[in-house]
Amino acid sequence: MRQSSLGRIAQLESASLVIPGMLVFTMGVIIPMGLGFFYSLTSWDGYTKELPWAGLSNYVNIFRDANTMKAWWFTIEFTVFNTIAQNILALVFAVALDGGIKGKTIYRTIMFVPCLIAPVVAGYIWLRMYSDVLPALSAALGLKTDFRLFGSGRTVLSGLLVVNQWQWVGYWMLIYLAGLQSVPVELYEAARVDGASRIRQFFKITIPMLAPAFTICIVGISIGSLRVYDLMVSSTGGGPGRSSTSIIYQIYNTAIGGRQYGYGSAISMTLIFVLLLIAAAQLGILRRREVQL
Amino acid sequence: MVRARVLAIALIAALALAAPGAFAQTAVTVKILAGQSTTDAGIENFISDAVSAKYPEVKLDWEVVGWPDLPAKIQEYMKSGLPDIIVGKGQDIATFASRNILGSISGKPYLKNVVAAAVGSGSYKGKDYGIVYNALYQGVYYNRKLFKDNGIAVPRTQAELKAVIDKFKSLGITPFETHFVDLWSIGNITMQFMINDVFNKTPDWGDRFRAGKAGFASSPIAKTVFGYDKLIYDNTWKDETFSLQQTNADGRLVQGKAAMKVSGSWSIQNFLDVDPGFDFGIFPFPNQTGDAKLIFEPNITFMKSATTDKSDAIDKVFTVLTTDKDLGQKIFDQTKTASTIKGIGPTFNNPSQKDIDVYVAKNQIVDANSGNLQLVWGGFQDENAKDIAAWLQGTETLDQALQAADSRRANSKP
Repeated sequence: MRQSSLGRIAQLESASLVIPGMLVFTMGVIIPMGLGFFYSLTSWDGYTKELPWAGLSNYVNIFRDANTMKAWWFTIEFTVFNTIAQNILALVFAVALDGGIKGKTIYRTIMFVPCLIAPVVAGYIWLRMYSDVLPALSAALGLKTDFRLFGSGRTVLSGLLVVNQWQWVGYWMLIYLAGLQSVPVELYEAARVDGASRIRQFFKITIPMLAPAFTICIVGISIGSLRVYDLMVSSTGGGPGRSSTSIIYQIYNTAIGGRQYGYGSAISMTLIFVLLLIAAAQLGILRRREVQL
Repeated sequence: MVRARVLAIALIAALALAAPGAFAQTAVTVKILAGQSTTDAGIENFISDAVSAKYPEVKLDWEVVGWPDLPAKIQEYMKSGLPDIIVGKGQDIATFASRNILGSISGKPYLKNVVAAAVGSGSYKGKDYGIVYNALYQGVYYNRKLFKDNGIAVPRTQAELKAVIDKFKSLGITPFETHFVDLWSIGNITMQFMINDVFNKTPDWGDRFRAGKAGFASSPIAKTVFGYDKLIYDNTWKDETFSLQQTNADGRLVQGKAAMKVSGSWSIQNFLDVDPGFDFGIFPFPNQTGDAKLIFEPNITFMKSATTDKSDAIDKVFTVLTTDKDLGQKIFDQTKTASTIKGIGPTFNNPSQKDIDVYVAKNQIVDANSGNLQLVWGGFQDENAKDIAAWLQGTETLDQALQAADSRRANSKP
């Protein structure tokens, strides 16, 4: 009797801890997602009281809509290149700063400062850089390099990738740096005694020991890349043409600007599905690798 | 004696404390959602000051967003409660009134202070829904000095325009100033062309388009209109236009590096910022038949929401807007736009005004809403602009761009 009442008290305590979080999660995530799914089954324009039922036609239309497919393709390209480039650069800088170079703190601060700038501002800064500052510098130095990367559909992705590296490499570098500093020194000492070269030490000790940092950085960068939007708002406006329209930009243009709230909701449902799928896959694969280590 | 003094002091103190409350009217806060263009930034402060000077009990609570974001905000507030006043553009009247978002202001005395053409622009299906406060003129802005020094006359036909382009090219001057990095500028010029070549002749072209009786890909004139975009692109700084910002591009027109710009009054602010003495004029972009008109666009428009319970306070705000000369001058001078309020006008020097006056006198003026109310901006005109940009950059063909416009038929109605 006494035990069961203690159990109830423990259950109540657990519930009191879980319920507030569950309520916030339900109101902030589950209900909006449910509403989004409901809207995705309608052809609602976002204004009228009537919500005409459309069934699954919005989902079918996604595959027929060349602009949405183009936006998906751009987002995938951006995500793949950005995830690879940002991880490599962040790791390289982290390794460099983990060594014995002078003025580490200054470099670390300089690299971190762009993270504090809003992406909208970063986009605007780089629009100016590419259109005014760098061409002027190029002309002053007598160079013939064309820096107007945002000005052509062929170069806009590269231009945006450069900006994204500039802004976020410092942030991910700090995570790798923290990982590097937590690698036990004894492992390197033992490897040196065994005659392992620095490169071998890097690939056999550093990289495996950074597995948790890789998990955080790869998942974080790829999810962030799939959601890229605000950087384009102030820099390319999704253009030239539609050449830098990300999937979120397409959702906004369709649902809000284009008054196709139902169709926009369907596209956003596909984005949520892809995000969940990628996060689950990455976490599954990377965590398994961490366990093996 | 002492008691009497104490009583007297207490009485005076009580009166002094009670008086402000006794005579002051109940304060009313009017919520305003304003979708502004960049040229309109700051006018909300002028309006708040003017309203509080005349009606201290009326407080204005502003939320300012970019005009393209206004529909998103309206959708949000349709669920949580609309603001009392919505500020947008003349073309928003049809979009919002048709969805029962606006309340009628028909018969209000302050409408008599608005010029008749602008009252018409603020109405929908016979009811007045908004005060159109200022107007923009759209056409080809040109560097008057360049034209004069080189003995070039304003072109009226396509053949004359081509001759002007050739002349400027031979002089080493870029014929057209553009900043296609702003996709809206492509959308804007395309609609200017459509108004003079399509809607001027077939006012219900948009309805016919939706009914499947007209189309972009099947219409030679629509093809010609897209061709004008190419004409401009071929005669501007092609390598730079998709990265050059408006301020820099406008600066080049002022400095005489370019001769013309297809644009609207919103560019005047930049022109005069670069050089307050810049002499410029305006003419309609020549159409196929040589009878193009200067385009008049109802711009800042104050609309009353359908759900407000503060009609009296809104009437006071609208009365101030249509009667306060100082306020009007401040706004028109800041935005460098034309007034639609009787007896109130800008005081800034607008060198293109003499051209505007000539076109107005000849009745060579057409309302931009003749096109904007046939083919909506958001989701149609702006999407067409993206396809035109892709075509100009060679990643789409002209036919693909025209067919893409046709594919958006269902989403073209305002």
